[in-house]
Amino acid sequence: MTMIQIDNLKKAFGANEVLKGIDLTIDKSEVVVIMGPSGSGKSTLLRCLNFLEEPTEGIIQIGEYQVHAGGKIDRQRKKVIRELRKKTGFVFQSFNLFPHKTAIENIMEGPIAIHGMKPEEAKKIAEALLTKVGLGDRSDHFPAQLSGGQQQRVAIARSLALNPLVMLFDEPTSALDPELVREVLLVIKSLAEEGMTMVIVTHEMNFAKEVADRVVFMDEGVIVEQGTSKEIFLHPKEERTKQFLYQVEAIVAD
Amino acid sequence: MDFTIIIDSLPSLLKATLMTIFLAAISIVIALVIGFFTAIIRILKVKVLNEVANTYVSLMRGTPLLVQIFVIYYGLPQIGIALDPISSGVLALSLNAGAYLSESFRASILAVDSGQMEASMSMGMTYPQALKRIILPQSLRIAIPTLSNSFIVLIKDTSLVSVITVTELLQMSSLIIAKTFEPLTIYLVAAAIYWILISFFTKLLDRLEVQSSKYLVR
Repeated sequence: MTMIQIDNLKKAFGANEVLKGIDLTIDKSEVVVIMGPSGSGKSTLLRCLNFLEEPTEGIIQIGEYQVHAGGKIDRQRKKVIRELRKKTGFVFQSFNLFPHKTAIENIMEGPIAIHGMKPEEAKKIAEALLTKVGLGDRSDHFPAQLSGGQQQRVAIARSLALNPLVMLFDEPTSALDPELVREVLLVIKSLAEEGMTMVIVTHEMNFAKEVADRVVFMDEGVIVEQGTSKEIFLHPKEERTKQFLYQVEAIVAD
Repeated sequence: MDFTIIIDSLPSLLKATLMTIFLAAISIVIALVIGFFTAIIRILKVKVLNEVANTYVSLMRGTPLLVQIFVIYYGLPQIGIALDPISSGVLALSLNAGAYLSESFRASILAVDSGQMEASMSMGMTYPQALKRIILPQSLRIAIPTLSNSFIVLIKDTSLVSVITVTELLQMSSLIIAKTFEPLTIYLVAAAIYWILISFFTKLLDRLEVQSSKYLVR
């Protein structure tokens, strides 16, 4: 079953074309890792999926919600985008937790604001999610009192609280100290095992090898090559892919 | 200095202080509302209204408050809008403070990290929802020091309304001096009352700032 369908997605910032026509279909429960050099458009692609960037052209469908890019910004379109966003969790590189709310309040925010849930109910959900990401004992801490890894785990729980169909991760571990990366990756991995559909932009090659059903390699606004992690890491076909993997030392040249 | 004069004039001065507080309180409430909406209009760049808001802020900040008071109290009756002194005073004070407050609000809203709005929107919140639940609580904390400053200025500016016969603290002082011929004593007492009043509100707002910053303390 198809969960995400992207057709001919283009995005330009002024004269600078960042995405040059991306086609990508992602199945339910599939874990797709997008990688590529900086400036390749991978983060922009992910942000377009949530309309944090308005695409210039193309069609995005997530679940039952389909949005055409460049359409008139009317009430109906805004509403569909909002519904689409409710069904996709977005995890940011810089966490973006709400600093004036405690860990548990951050997670309760979505169910209360979006689903109109009563605080007591939302609290139950939030407590369960905090335990799930291993922070059951940190519920009353403010983000400033948590480590980066802990903050990112709270951010993941915050997204999960809305029961998303899809989770999008935009370099979720890039802002973390090396020793904090693993705890976040383990949470993401557990979601993969539960069958969550995920699109992950990351530079963690070992992690990609571990969890990705498919690896998509992007460069200069296009998808250069895609395949299973084995295919991409062991037998890359394209020269640009080989070069990139060599540069990040994911393969050793002979 | 004659202490009996101070004691004799104190009841009248304190009563007039109530008028000063009244003027400041009503004006700050109206100014907060004006300032807030002006800031939102300018941030969202709402068509037409944005131009109106820009002109309003520019005019209010670019002309002396005393001139604004004169225009409203002495000028407007010429085109059929006659307001009593207190209403004129409140109108001038709130329009003036509103312009300054709108700048504080605007700066403080824009100072909240853009990731906060993105996180709210990506959850599926509407813009007003994100503003109310996520952005404003954070921007208010940032705004408090400048709000507090505007409030202090506003309390002091109420003294200008004395020129259009509103019997607030300064006007009352002048009336008493006309009878007692003790300008130094009475004006110093008036100054002391202003100072106590402003110190009180400064303390109050400082406490509010500490309280609203609790989440930042490690």
